[in-house]
Amino acid sequence: MPRIRACGVFLAAIMALRCSPVDAPAANGAQPAQFRPIDSTAAVCWDRNTLETAKLLDAIAGEYNETKPEELPIKLEYLGNYGDIFRKVSLSIQARELPATAVGYEPMTSEYVVANAALSLDDYIDDPTLGLTPEDKQDFYPSVLETNRFPQFGGKMYSFPFCKSVLMMYVNKKVLSEAGIANPPTTWNEFLEQCRTIKAKSGKTAYAVSVDCSTVEGFIYSMGGNVAEGAVTAFDQPAALGVFKLYETLVKEGLAYQVQPGTYDDREDFAHDRAAFFFRPSSHRPDAAQLMAARPGDWMMTRIPQSDVSKPSTVLYGPNICIFRTTDAHQRAAWGFIKHFTSPKVSVRWALATGYLPIRKSAASDPDMLAFWEKWPQDREAFDCLAFAKSQPNLVGWQEVRTLVERALSAVLSGLKTAEQATADLKRDADKVLAAQQI
Amino acid sequence: MHPALTLGIAIVAVALLLATRASARRALDATLEWCDVQLARFERRPIIIAGMLLAVPVTLVTVFSFFPLLYAVYISLFDTRRGTYIALGNYHRALADPEFWRSVKVTLYYAIGAVPLTIVLSFVVAWLLFRITRFRSLFRTVYFLPYVTSAVAAATVWRVLLRPQSGFVNVMLVSVGLEPQKWLIEPRSVFHLITGGAIPADVGPSLALCCIIAFDIWHSSGFMIVVFLAGLSAIPRQLEETARLDGASTFGVVRYVTIPLLSPTIFFLVIVSAIKSFQAFNSFYALVNARGEDTQNLIVYIYAQFYENQHIGYGASIAVIMCVAIVLLTIAQWRIAGRQVYYE
Repeated sequence: MPRIRACGVFLAAIMALRCSPVDAPAANGAQPAQFRPIDSTAAVCWDRNTLETAKLLDAIAGEYNETKPEELPIKLEYLGNYGDIFRKVSLSIQARELPATAVGYEPMTSEYVVANAALSLDDYIDDPTLGLTPEDKQDFYPSVLETNRFPQFGGKMYSFPFCKSVLMMYVNKKVLSEAGIANPPTTWNEFLEQCRTIKAKSGKTAYAVSVDCSTVEGFIYSMGGNVAEGAVTAFDQPAALGVFKLYETLVKEGLAYQVQPGTYDDREDFAHDRAAFFFRPSSHRPDAAQLMAARPGDWMMTRIPQSDVSKPSTVLYGPNICIFRTTDAHQRAAWGFIKHFTSPKVSVRWALATGYLPIRKSAASDPDMLAFWEKWPQDREAFDCLAFAKSQPNLVGWQEVRTLVERALSAVLSGLKTAEQATADLKRDADKVLAAQQI
Repeated sequence: MHPALTLGIAIVAVALLLATRASARRALDATLEWCDVQLARFERRPIIIAGMLLAVPVTLVTVFSFFPLLYAVYISLFDTRRGTYIALGNYHRALADPEFWRSVKVTLYYAIGAVPLTIVLSFVVAWLLFRITRFRSLFRTVYFLPYVTSAVAAATVWRVLLRPQSGFVNVMLVSVGLEPQKWLIEPRSVFHLITGGAIPADVGPSLALCCIIAFDIWHSSGFMIVVFLAGLSAIPRQLEETARLDGASTFGVVRYVTIPLLSPTIFFLVIVSAIKSFQAFNSFYALVNARGEDTQNLIVYIYAQFYENQHIGYGASIAVIMCVAIVLLTIAQWRIAGRQVYYE
């Protein structure tokens, strides 16, 4: 009996705790909720760049700090990859202590908005002193700005473009020529035929598949479809089914194989002439170039195949940067840095050094950029894709949907499900996830 | 300074020192006497001494074990994204969630595969090692090495060996005329693969999960071998010799003498490895990036809810369910297997 009484008291205590609204975890709601800055003397930016690019970013931040001595200095901290940053920001939200700013993808930002941690940037953007001029706003590609507007949150801008790239096709010209193919495919039908020809003539499995949701999204866009409409997914539509059917055919005929997730085995196989194609963002171009440094004429990076070449599309990659609700001083310093980083000159400088695309239209006439494209015409092609590239949906819960897409693709690649089964299950499960996240 | 004055100062200083020492000694004596009185008083009430001695560890356990556990129970009662109290809503959701049950299935497959195999294999190796006299230390070190190797580092090597295209294992398979396998990215069950599709692909553990089980057997058997060796050393030799003189075969000696006398060790290892099997994470995360649902055990599912999907309350509710399940399983093991344990 005493034990039962003790258990009763314990449960009662737990129930009583709910009466304390102050202790309610992750308070979310309309009321403003400020977070403590993790460093009161500097505006900390959580980033993922390493080695040379980290040095450059540090130099850019240093230059900005020198020009704005009256503001809090920007302090860059390397926090691992985007997933690591997301996890650490999520934990910091629970601890109610945040950096001034952090990089991340759209679905991550939408989670920060739900937690009332991300700051709407519209006030800063439209501020007559601190904001962007109308010319500046026009200079950004609409696609890179629009992806940062969140329709579920009143169409406000909760993040700003930081580093951008687009999905591209990497082509091993040597493997193609071994099969007697002169030019890379421009349509999906050509792509399939070339894979068959390569298999028949050289015995090689043409396409090394790295399972990634963004690649599937890019394929669906290139087939004229969409991945979400409003707050529901469009995986039951012909374009999505077409993509999964393509993968099914490729695997059934032995024309494609899956590489281990989280590795760059596709790139490596490509460099060893074991695969003719792999699909990755344009920002992988410097890595591919390094792998193929001994024979630069044997490969190229080009636009992904399309269903209708007159209406091209691909997926827009790359992180954005958001500002957290800390103090005015931290927020202002963070915005100042973002504005500086995305200014035309710095944007071009960053693109030249990293392989990311400049996010402003004016870059097309920048002499340094033109000289660079002279040397690397493939990068110019990627830059031109910005005009029609579409971003992934920035819906709350899309982060979870991404995992479902990757699982669906893995199931098709392993023969566990047919394309029809995979897309039907994906549509059902993904819609359920999005419905559960409705704000 | 005048020598007489110096001498005077020295005499005064010594006198003061002596006086100070005397008073210090008196103070010390008084303090010790007070302590004696207090201790005598405490000795009459030993619970106070026990309380004082236990205060630090109890505080540490409370802060670092009980508080997180209670806090997990507390947040499991909330929809943390909306900050609203939902009572047992997360628990209801978990019990109705097919993905939760798939994770339970993966966890059970893993436990059923890893625990008995590791124990049997470790026992056999330990028994063989116990029989040899030459190079015993060398072999013991060799078998223990995987256990002291970082699981993540070892998993990286395994990933390379099991690469689907050019991994060493597949190269070997092809060289002897067998089909290469997808290993860590194969979501179909081993029964399906072995029977050529006669058994549905989702019945039984996937090949990827079997790779994880194999990795963990390799990685953790070193510890069990050492524990078994210690247990074997404690068995009186004359018992085995007597059994042999009575005509028992080697198998009979092992079956009727060694194993019963090792039962406390086996029982300890079963309890510990069963709990560990429910908490396995490193190998799952490092080998397969915790992606597929065929390799998503409960811990990986909790991790995904916490850090990828932001369902903190829901993740906490699954953690609480798992904690309760482990406690119940351990009690059941004590009740059922505990009866079979022979204590000398």
